[in-house]
Amino acid sequence: MTTSPNALCFGEKFPATGQPCCVELSSTGLTVCLNADSPDTGGMNVPFSALMVSAGGLNHDHLVLKWGAGVQAHTLYLKDPVLIRSFRSSAPPGLTKDIEMTAANVRKVRSRQRTVWSILLAMLVGLGLLLWFGSDLLVDIAVDRIPVEWEQKLGESAYRDFLIHQQVLKDGPAVEAINEITRRLTEKISDNPYEFEISVVKNEVVNAFALPGGYVVVFTGLLQKAESGEEVAGVLSHELNHVLQRHGLERMVKQLGLVAIVTIILGDQQGLIGLMKQVGVELLTLKFGRAQETEADVTGLRLLHRARIDPSGMITFFQRLSEKEDGRVEWLSTHPMSAGRAALLKVEMAALPKTPPEPFTFQWKTVQESLGVEPVVAP
Amino acid sequence: MKSEILYPGAFPMVRVELAAGETIKAESGAMVASSPTIDVESKLEGGFLGALSRKLLTGEKFFFQTLRASRGPGEVLLAPTVPGEIVIMELDGLNEYMVQKDGFLAGADSVKIESQMQSLSRGLLGGEGFFILKISGKGALILNSFGAIHKIELKPDQEYIVDNSHLVAWSATTTYNIEKAASGWVASFTSGEGFVCRFRGPGVVFIQSRNPGGFGTWIRQFIPVSE
Repeated sequence: MTTSPNALCFGEKFPATGQPCCVELSSTGLTVCLNADSPDTGGMNVPFSALMVSAGGLNHDHLVLKWGAGVQAHTLYLKDPVLIRSFRSSAPPGLTKDIEMTAANVRKVRSRQRTVWSILLAMLVGLGLLLWFGSDLLVDIAVDRIPVEWEQKLGESAYRDFLIHQQVLKDGPAVEAINEITRRLTEKISDNPYEFEISVVKNEVVNAFALPGGYVVVFTGLLQKAESGEEVAGVLSHELNHVLQRHGLERMVKQLGLVAIVTIILGDQQGLIGLMKQVGVELLTLKFGRAQETEADVTGLRLLHRARIDPSGMITFFQRLSEKEDGRVEWLSTHPMSAGRAALLKVEMAALPKTPPEPFTFQWKTVQESLGVEPVVAP
Repeated sequence: MKSEILYPGAFPMVRVELAAGETIKAESGAMVASSPTIDVESKLEGGFLGALSRKLLTGEKFFFQTLRASRGPGEVLLAPTVPGEIVIMELDGLNEYMVQKDGFLAGADSVKIESQMQSLSRGLLGGEGFFILKISGKGALILNSFGAIHKIELKPDQEYIVDNSHLVAWSATTTYNIEKAASGWVASFTSGEGFVCRFRGPGVVFIQSRNPGGFGTWIRQFIPVSE
């Protein structure tokens, strides 16, 4: 007989917390020996045939054995895993069926509990991930709801404000060349909701930028540095695609945050103007994200290909500038030419079907001379 | 270790006598006074992670006090923060108790304290939060309540309904379900009971005669609002 109690016995005669007792198993049933505290109850022999088996306790982790009726009703709570295991192995098949069902129920309850917790945890993690990564999705939805006219109004005011303080070239070979490049490119944009307006600004800065709504500024410094019309076309195609992909709006909405996104999704686009003024978003200083740059690169390259402009000009111009003009070229500070970027463009280019490029009608030399660039004399 | 309740009623205190070398763990801040032979140590019961989970999950204190009679026998006086009764129980190694987070005052060193996760419905509606303390082992366990403490004894399959905010501790052999206090949703909440726990024996359930949350709401109306 085991010396220390290994189960709790409940019944009419016992305290509510149960009577600690020793349970011993035999081939025919159990012997329940109550403690020395109440020796009058003595040892009880209970045959397996008299037992009813179930799972009990707060966590369904007790094996509950019941026998007798009325004042003779006894309930035994077993918790010790070793005891439960030996009970399962020595009980007759009829009873074991009940035990197995009980065990299956316990497992089911536990697994349901685990499932509920896992689902809850997954939902929490999912919510976290949604807030972390899904903000892009929300931004996309919000941006989709902003009408183009409205975007144009926004871009136009910034564009006009900028041009007031600048010397804009009205005509001449440079303007004609830019117009031709723009025409060649925009002709090949399907479902173009924008009317692109491009200004050539006299400034030594090697830069070009696009505002939401289709307003593009090219500085003469960039034209001076370019060695061919195709190179300028590469930069322009990239900038036009920032507009087409509505990257400016995406950045704006991102900067303004969740409030703006919700306002726009719920239909109050006008509220955004006020919000922008309040937060003081400067359209001219908006920087695009890396993913947006890659997107503009790739879509820009495809547009060049459709317009039958040699796309390699785009890559060579970027690379040459980044090698020679380290840190002095404005456009590169916002568009760093990494090895990865060049490689990606080359892969994209290789994937495009080969079509013979159509040259521009202008002479690039003439354009450059009009901007005061000394013709390079071959040594 | 011998313990006795002094001044039973609303403002009781426990005197625990420790033999040389004996220790007792108590809720942090529970010690009122002690013999000079007693050393107070703070201990991360259940290791750092155990303590952390207890702190984060049940809202119980991160550290437990360990009071050790390191320089000879002595006595310690312990008291809970809130007014209310104290009950001393002797764990037999077989009975385990679930205790809501504010119910634990002290226990013998051989008493084991773990935090245990409840099922979602119990956690959400039971009023004790998702995690409760599971206390097992052998030795003295001292619980405290807000108001008087009342013990409900349940025979096998006997049922009893308890307002969830009045629960202090219950044995692991009981089971309970959360249900609405009245048959309808509106009546459940207009009656002021909301959810209740339907306990089913065998086992004991300790309840407190006052509801701390209700008391808080009541006293808030008397606190002057500063401008």
